[in-house]
Amino acid sequence: MIGHIERVRNIGISAHIDSGKTTLTERILFYTKRIHAMHDVKGKDGVGATMDSMDLERERGITITSAATYCRWQNHEINIIDTPGHVDFTIEVERSLRVLDGAILVLCAVGGVQSQSITVDQQMKRYRVPCIAFINKLDRTGANPFRVIQQLRSKLGHNAVAMQIPIGLEGDFLGVVDLVSMKAFYFEGENGETIREEVVPEPLAEEAKRRREVLIDAASIFSDELTEAILEEREIPEDLLHEAIRKGTLSRGLTPVYMGSAYKNKAVQPLLDGVVKLLPCPLEIRNEALDMEHEETPVELVSDPGKPAVALAFKLEDGQYGQLTYIRVYQGAINRGSTVVNSRTGRKVKIGRVVRMHADQMEDIEAIPAGYIGALFGIDCASGDTFTTPGTNLTMTSMFIPKPVISLAIVPKDNKAQINMSKALNRFTKEDPTFKTFVDQETNETIIEGMGELHLEIYVERMRREYAAEVTTGQPRVAYRETITQKTDFNYTHRKQTGGSGQYARIAGYLEPLAEGDFVFENRITGGVIPTQFIPSCEKGFRASIEKSPKLEFPITGVKVLINDGAFHAVDSSDMAFQAAARAAFREAFQKARPVVQEPIMKVVVETPSEFQGAVMGLLNQRRGMIIGAQDEGVLSSIEAQVPLAEMFGFSTVLRSATQGKAQFTMEFALYRQVPQSVAEKIAEEVAQRKKNAA
Amino acid sequence: MARLIPFVRPGKILFLKDRYRYMLKKELLVHHPIHNAGFPSEEILPPGGFGAVLARAGVGKTAFLVQVALHAMLQERDVLHVSLHDPVNKIDLWYRELFQNMTRRNRLSRMDDLWQEIMAHRFIMTFKVDAFTVPKLEERLTDLTVQGIFQPKMVIMDGLHFDESVREKLEAIKNLARKSSMAAWFTVHTHRHEGVTASGFPPSLDSVADLFDTLILLQPEGENIPVQMVKGLPEGFPSPRLFLDPSTLLIGKADSPERM
Repeated sequence: MIGHIERVRNIGISAHIDSGKTTLTERILFYTKRIHAMHDVKGKDGVGATMDSMDLERERGITITSAATYCRWQNHEINIIDTPGHVDFTIEVERSLRVLDGAILVLCAVGGVQSQSITVDQQMKRYRVPCIAFINKLDRTGANPFRVIQQLRSKLGHNAVAMQIPIGLEGDFLGVVDLVSMKAFYFEGENGETIREEVVPEPLAEEAKRRREVLIDAASIFSDELTEAILEEREIPEDLLHEAIRKGTLSRGLTPVYMGSAYKNKAVQPLLDGVVKLLPCPLEIRNEALDMEHEETPVELVSDPGKPAVALAFKLEDGQYGQLTYIRVYQGAINRGSTVVNSRTGRKVKIGRVVRMHADQMEDIEAIPAGYIGALFGIDCASGDTFTTPGTNLTMTSMFIPKPVISLAIVPKDNKAQINMSKALNRFTKEDPTFKTFVDQETNETIIEGMGELHLEIYVERMRREYAAEVTTGQPRVAYRETITQKTDFNYTHRKQTGGSGQYARIAGYLEPLAEGDFVFENRITGGVIPTQFIPSCEKGFRASIEKSPKLEFPITGVKVLINDGAFHAVDSSDMAFQAAARAAFREAFQKARPVVQEPIMKVVVETPSEFQGAVMGLLNQRRGMIIGAQDEGVLSSIEAQVPLAEMFGFSTVLRSATQGKAQFTMEFALYRQVPQSVAEKIAEEVAQRKKNAA
Repeated sequence: MARLIPFVRPGKILFLKDRYRYMLKKELLVHHPIHNAGFPSEEILPPGGFGAVLARAGVGKTAFLVQVALHAMLQERDVLHVSLHDPVNKIDLWYRELFQNMTRRNRLSRMDDLWQEIMAHRFIMTFKVDAFTVPKLEERLTDLTVQGIFQPKMVIMDGLHFDESVREKLEAIKNLARKSSMAAWFTVHTHRHEGVTASGFPPSLDSVADLFDTLILLQPEGENIPVQMVKGLPEGFPSPRLFLDPSTLLIGKADSPERM
């Protein structure tokens, strides 16, 4: 590791799907001589890019998990985390941005700002990560970097400013003009590794001058010295301009924009220069921990290897040889052989192996000092845990964990698959906080929840490949309820007196609908017609009855039971007799109380570009949704609706198709509502079929 | 020879299980203050008509129009509520609270089912005030009507600024209202210091008063807020005797004890 922390850069590369993040990382690793050959993400040689080490990633050509590596450029050490672009794997971006100091936001020169660009930008905002933008794919037909810069301004609200202008576009893309040095750069050689510096081509001179003035103007807000130089019409030194741009970038008041084509090996090296010049070192980022001994008072952490250690575990990989825990050290150092404390559990942990990662390869090292990212082997912990030197009671805030939006029921094919599936689920839920699993108490199904259909599909496939657990998946059963809609009297006598000890109990009263709450039992017995000791038995019998409706076997809610009359026998009455009477009375009265089926209704909020508002409303309407309203927020609109949960299966996929992936939605339980007649009939048929199959 | 069977227009079929909700709706409608309040017509505004409620800040313009909307919703007429200053959930809350107050005063219970039913007749749209344009509104409305999602017969424009440039917007909305056969209601914010012009209207409304068929003024008088119809009454027609209760913001009839 490099000695001076000022020369360290911890950066993430984030973007929408297929913007070129992994390809860009591959080029970065090549030009920094970290690797000696470049491979394509979906190449014919079948090798795949360095950072896509999983078989599934190589087969599908997508990044599924984030991968860390490091390299050197201009005597600086750059730790890079390449992240996935699919929203399904958003936790990887979330955890990476939590621990990184800077980021490169990659944008496609044709697609511009896309749905996940918006999401990763919000994530960068959440963790206040300074970023530079890289407009990629300038070689593609339709490439227009200045349209993308405009979108950065209008859609993401960035104060984006070009650091370069392209020399040619699409098939004629040759290189870039750097607006700080006012030089043209061409990238030659088999892999673009040779950079030729020339004067600015004459046809571009005017535009270059104009855009440089825009750049200087934007940067001057962050530097009095630069402003003075402008006012005095002096020559602007490159260093002064870079310094001003850097200040703007670190404060997130300015977004410098680079451009090029990673696939065509053009203009990646200037981007690396930009990372070194403009993105922060660990010392320039304020990191805080909470002091648990002083009511969680925030405490600033210092990137000093001499201080007590504070590190955050941000990613786990559970393998056959043990757990690999990725950590970022914020203060002090984590040394091999030392003892640290997990501040969540309070347990002391001895550090065995300390490694540095290069995609899926590990390199043993002695320590991870402050400002660096590394991994620990054989430590059992959870994502978000803080490790500290014993005696230091600090804890760091964890990353934001988005809630799952989709669920599936999974059924193992056989007993062996069941055991393997459990092992797989234990591991995956530990590694990925957005992947959840539970057994539905009502339907007894194993349910998996995630961020999207792709997310769940990948885990099902991994279950099959890594754990030999064959499972089938299906839509989870909706938790329906039943309730009554009218008041009904009951008067039931439970009698079994055929000789010997018998049973006798009579209960009378009524059932009525309850506006709020599940169940209320009211005792209005007078004159001791039912002895006091049997009243709890009556209640018990009624409560047992509402667990499963006699009609469709769903739980019953919203019922009030009032008893006001009855009778008992001195010998034959007992707790059992009154429970039985209560159950039978309920069964009889329930059928007459006009029971109805209710379904869970979800509050669904869809955020979409305004151009798709009509399409989204149509989708919700088709799913029996009742749209409450639409909030126009300029470029985006927010549509709120109440939609039955039963209709939400597959919605995320349909929504993405209808909105080019630009819309997102959230869903939470709102209330239970009576189902329409047609749906009630369908449910009754399904229940009858299920009973028939069971029989 | 074929027998000619006289055409009989089919009546509304009421399932027994829906009878209770139907009776509740009827009860609420019959006791709604707007019902038989003395307006020239039950709907106050005809399709394509323009109406405005004028008052100072906080007096009850939105509350008044929400109750007009609830009256329409109870009659199964779709209402589009457009707000230029409040978010969707705040407007929704207005409707819920006023509906609850209405039912409480009428001593009616088990209103949840009825609320769910009438809520389907309301759609809320909100816009930022500087981003609102009539073409945008028309586009959003078309999204709803073309797909058969919602067919409003009344639109409430809550929060439109009545400044020098409002006439053009109002004329465009009037065209839209006529085309869609929608009655359009507006809230007009007045100021104490403005006074009235020679024609008797606040200055902000003076230049566009001709566009409106009905103007209702809410002006506090002591403990009460009488509802005064300053335009739209036929000659010799007495003004409806209504007031707005400042504590509940419910419309009440001035000459009867509060049943609603």
